[in-house]
Amino acid sequence: MDFSELSHQSEIRDSLDKIFNEHCSQERLKKYDSNFKHDKNLLSLLASKGYLGLGLNEKYDGSGEDLYDLGILFERLGYHAAPLSLSGCLVDVAQTIQKFSNEEFCNEILGSIIAGEIYTSAILEPSNQDPENPITTAKIEDDQLIISGTKYLSEISSIAKSILISANSNEGVLLILVDTDQVKLTELNSTANSPLFKVELDSVRVDRESIIHEKGRGLEALRYLIQINMVMRSYISLGVTEKMTSLIAGYTSEREQFGRVIGTFQAVSHRAADCFIELECLRLVNQQAAINLNTNLDCENQALVSKIWAGNACHKISYSAQHLHGGMGVDKDYVLWRYCLLAKECELINGSSSQNIDRLGENLTTNQ
Amino acid sequence: MLIQLNQKQLKLQNELQEYFESLITPALKTELNHPEHFEGGGPEFKKAMKTMGSDGWIGLSWKKEFGGKELSPIEQYIFVETVMRTGFPFPFLTTESVGPMIAEHGSEWAKEEIATKILKGELIFGIGYSEPNSGTDLASLQTKAIKQTDGYLINGQKMWTSLANFSDYIWLATRTDFEAKNHKGISMFIVPTDDPGFSMSAINTLGDVRTNATFYDNIHVPETHLVGELNQGWSLITSQLNLERLALVNHGPVEELYKDVLETAQSTKINKDQYLSDLSWVKHNLAQVHSGIEALKLICWKQTWIMESGQLNMAEASVAKVYGSEFFIEAYRLMMEIIGELSILKNGSELTILNAKLERMYRTASILTFGGGTNEVQRDIIAMAGLLMPRSR
Repeated sequence: MDFSELSHQSEIRDSLDKIFNEHCSQERLKKYDSNFKHDKNLLSLLASKGYLGLGLNEKYDGSGEDLYDLGILFERLGYHAAPLSLSGCLVDVAQTIQKFSNEEFCNEILGSIIAGEIYTSAILEPSNQDPENPITTAKIEDDQLIISGTKYLSEISSIAKSILISANSNEGVLLILVDTDQVKLTELNSTANSPLFKVELDSVRVDRESIIHEKGRGLEALRYLIQINMVMRSYISLGVTEKMTSLIAGYTSEREQFGRVIGTFQAVSHRAADCFIELECLRLVNQQAAINLNTNLDCENQALVSKIWAGNACHKISYSAQHLHGGMGVDKDYVLWRYCLLAKECELINGSSSQNIDRLGENLTTNQ
Repeated sequence: MLIQLNQKQLKLQNELQEYFESLITPALKTELNHPEHFEGGGPEFKKAMKTMGSDGWIGLSWKKEFGGKELSPIEQYIFVETVMRTGFPFPFLTTESVGPMIAEHGSEWAKEEIATKILKGELIFGIGYSEPNSGTDLASLQTKAIKQTDGYLINGQKMWTSLANFSDYIWLATRTDFEAKNHKGISMFIVPTDDPGFSMSAINTLGDVRTNATFYDNIHVPETHLVGELNQGWSLITSQLNLERLALVNHGPVEELYKDVLETAQSTKINKDQYLSDLSWVKHNLAQVHSGIEALKLICWKQTWIMESGQLNMAEASVAKVYGSEFFIEAYRLMMEIIGELSILKNGSELTILNAKLERMYRTASILTFGGGTNEVQRDIIAMAGLLMPRSR
């Protein structure tokens, strides 16, 4: 048992904070409130300092295959509300390829991701509750695949080189890398103004070589992708809720009413304490899931537990923060409001808490 | 970072499970079913405690000079977890919180006579903190210990002195300086319950757990019974309470109960093709309990790991206490919903499920949200020590 962070992990956190403090100031974030929310200069900076190689093997120029390291990046992205959406690229594409693809794929794609090239994924489908069973189809014709279907909530797709698509075929589930110019993209307008897209594939033809995994391992790879995405996105939730909790502590320790700071009222401090407890729980279940995914490709229940806690923490802490800040909480000149929007996005992507409780209950009672 | 038990620890867990299966004899089970003995104190209970002691289990993480094995607090936690899963009323406040305080701060006599005997399973302590007018504001306590030439003379009354009816000693908080500010005039004593000046009256509670009002009438104790420095007792109290809070919310018993309820749901038919566990709301309740237990387990493991380095953090001990105690109440409710009306049947009734364990546990659950330091004070501590907010008033 060891809950300590290694020294290089604390260094990653500190250095990232330094970068984000400079690049995610109020002034800079404002720019992205109504424009395409992607700071390409910040991405280049992260690439030049090697942070896009977190969680990737050294042989591709990564900094080592520890998902805990990668979790720190997502936690800090959330904490600073950074205008970067990287879970499709660094988690879905990079991690799944690292675990399931041949050397050739790894060499080609992982190296370029580390250098700053953007890839993304399109896994979720509107009106499909079960991402492990895609409605999108891939018809196999000789050495070619013909893919049709509609995906959504795909991140930064318009600037991605290719998109990792999940589809059903007569060989079971496949994960296929499709060039972005072969699909139709429509930008969606969502609550936190994140760059999310609808991706339509209308009989898109690709070579069989575009399948990223060995024959017969598609479902296993997709399950892994879904789980690791859940856990890494829960790290964004952790950062978002951590920031909101620290805003609560800071604001209520300064704001005075009735001649005293409002943090001295138990009704206030206890609601803040409840946020702290929620946050501690989320941090621990995330750590457990991330660390176990390092050595085990299937940790579904732990991933679900982390997503359930993330969904609940985002909801509870966001409303506590808004309430305890009074009018400041909704004032767009203050910092909190952006986090509240992000919290709702984090809460719902990859399934709500209720939906995941349902799934977890199914797993627990069927003795799989 | 590594968040799992290692091979050795898993082996220890198995070894302990087997050990308790043989330790808990039918005679002990019968005794523990008796209303007067289910919290311990009967002859079979005492026998089992001594066996555990002589087999070296009680003090896994204690220093060798006291008869311990100097393993880490994780091993100690595994021991307590496993014994609590069996339902045996292990006196963890004595072994996990008071004992370590005496071993660290006691006089030579206390170290030799008391600490080593706690490890042998031969001594049980009651805790004398609360008084009729000092509960949450513990530092206002008035029980006094007056210095005399050859020791101290103790007079006063304590409330909620659980286990006093079969304890050998009371871990007693007294006022020794009446001029100093509340926290600064408190000293800790080891007070024998066989002193003629000691008496008690029973308080029977909702959960059928007996507790006591205890009275201290001109009890004389020698200097050696003082633990720690004179007037420095408050820090012993807070350290003891930090240890107590962790022990109170051990995840073992609730996880054991969850497993039992899951099995029951999976084996109970509700019609010719369906089991209780096929119902969606039953699955939801089980999943809620499971994800709550996961967090509790990790909180406890982390606390235990922190203890290895010796610095139990105040905010985190309070997080464990608030989260654990409030989660237990919620978890019992969710599990009682699954068992349904049958869960209101009491032990000894016909038709009970799981020996009516849930019926008893839900009745004892409320104690933990105020016992061991009420949750309001814990939240104050979290806000101050965890969030660095100003002290509330």
